[in-house]
Amino acid sequence: MEGLLAGNDEAVRALYARYGRLIYSLGYRLLGTREAAEELTQDVFLTAWRKAARFDPTRGRLSTWLMTIGHNLAVDRLRRETGVSRPTLVLVDEVPDAPGLDEEAVLIERDAAVRALSSLTDAERRLVARSYFRGMTAREIAETDGIPLGTVKTRLRSAMIKVRKANEGKGLV
Amino acid sequence: MNCATVREGLAEHALGALLARDAATVDRHLAWCAACRKEAGELARASATLAFALAPEEPPADLGDRVLEVVQDAVARRDRRPQSSPRRSRLIAIASLAALLAVLGAGWGAVMAGRAARSDRVARLEQIRSESAVERFRDLLNSAEFGNPENEAFLGTLEPTTPGGGSGSALVLVSPSIVDLALVLVDGMPPQMRAVLPLAVRIRSDDGVLMVGRITKDEFDDSGAGIVMQEFADLDGFDTVIVRDVNGDVVMTGSLETRAALATPSP
Repeated sequence: MEGLLAGNDEAVRALYARYGRLIYSLGYRLLGTREAAEELTQDVFLTAWRKAARFDPTRGRLSTWLMTIGHNLAVDRLRRETGVSRPTLVLVDEVPDAPGLDEEAVLIERDAAVRALSSLTDAERRLVARSYFRGMTAREIAETDGIPLGTVKTRLRSAMIKVRKANEGKGLV
Repeated sequence: MNCATVREGLAEHALGALLARDAATVDRHLAWCAACRKEAGELARASATLAFALAPEEPPADLGDRVLEVVQDAVARRDRRPQSSPRRSRLIAIASLAALLAVLGAGWGAVMAGRAARSDRVARLEQIRSESAVERFRDLLNSAEFGNPENEAFLGTLEPTTPGGGSGSALVLVSPSIVDLALVLVDGMPPQMRAVLPLAVRIRSDDGVLMVGRITKDEFDDSGAGIVMQEFADLDGFDTVIVRDVNGDVVMTGSLETRAALATPSP
């Protein structure tokens, strides 16, 4: 991180080599176009450079920190660009084989994500996907589906308790 | 809002599924409640894991080079800035604060003039409240604790998301020995934007979002200026200001990037 903080070329290249594909995938799956995914990737690494001094390895993995930056930037964009059609969400357990290399920490996180999502019912999974990956509020989901807001809230709460429990004791939550 | 009520909404808070005003209420609670903040942090880390569930996609071969260029450009811009001595940094910071206070004074004065015609009593109460906020801020600047060399100020400007959508300034004071402060001034809002008031002003870090306050119709003067200020337990890491309208749309954003130590350097 010291190298990134200094804007060292090798440090930036090394960070991109480890996490570039991960961040690009986040942008592509959430925003739907290669152009948007490329912009998001550049924004994430620029933000990481600006905030490098504030990364605290005792509070979480570097990969999670970068993905949180990416998710925040992507959701901001989703909410700014209302009315723009978004791609069908494709999750890692829905594709037969994921080509390309990822570092071990990413694979561990990916396993944790799959474990978390598989602990959910189909309805909970769809609900979590719409709020977390689409940036929809509970009220928007309730209005779209024509169901009581209280029901959406209860289901989201239940789902997140399961997500947390799925990885308890594995050093991820 | 008590802890039980807040905890019922923490899952939605972690997923970003709360309405803006509800998220703000939770943020205010989290700012002072360590137990709920711990719970919120655990849920936030759990939700962050979900991002890894997205199917991988191969980026273009030259994206790494473009990422490097973007960072190199930012590094070069930083390095081109004149290097300030600690004393000069302090003077710049104090001058910026003074300028901001002057703007605040003018802004509040105009607001007060408009209100006087409506209700002397309400205007007087608001004036006392506003003046009290400025006084507290000035007291803080003049306090002995403010000389702590670990105090820092972060300044930034707010840019509209659409051309002609006004502008703004933001100031965050981070101190290990006294309360932290966030102060946001929005001005030059065009008349048509009154229809989308109140504006919700938030400040964000990687770990979450805090509500600074709402700027209502009553708090806007004729020139389209309004101010919010809030004290927090800890604003370290909060570096982005987001202003949303009544519909939840982002109308203004800004980064708090200008950083300056405020203490007088040792001889």
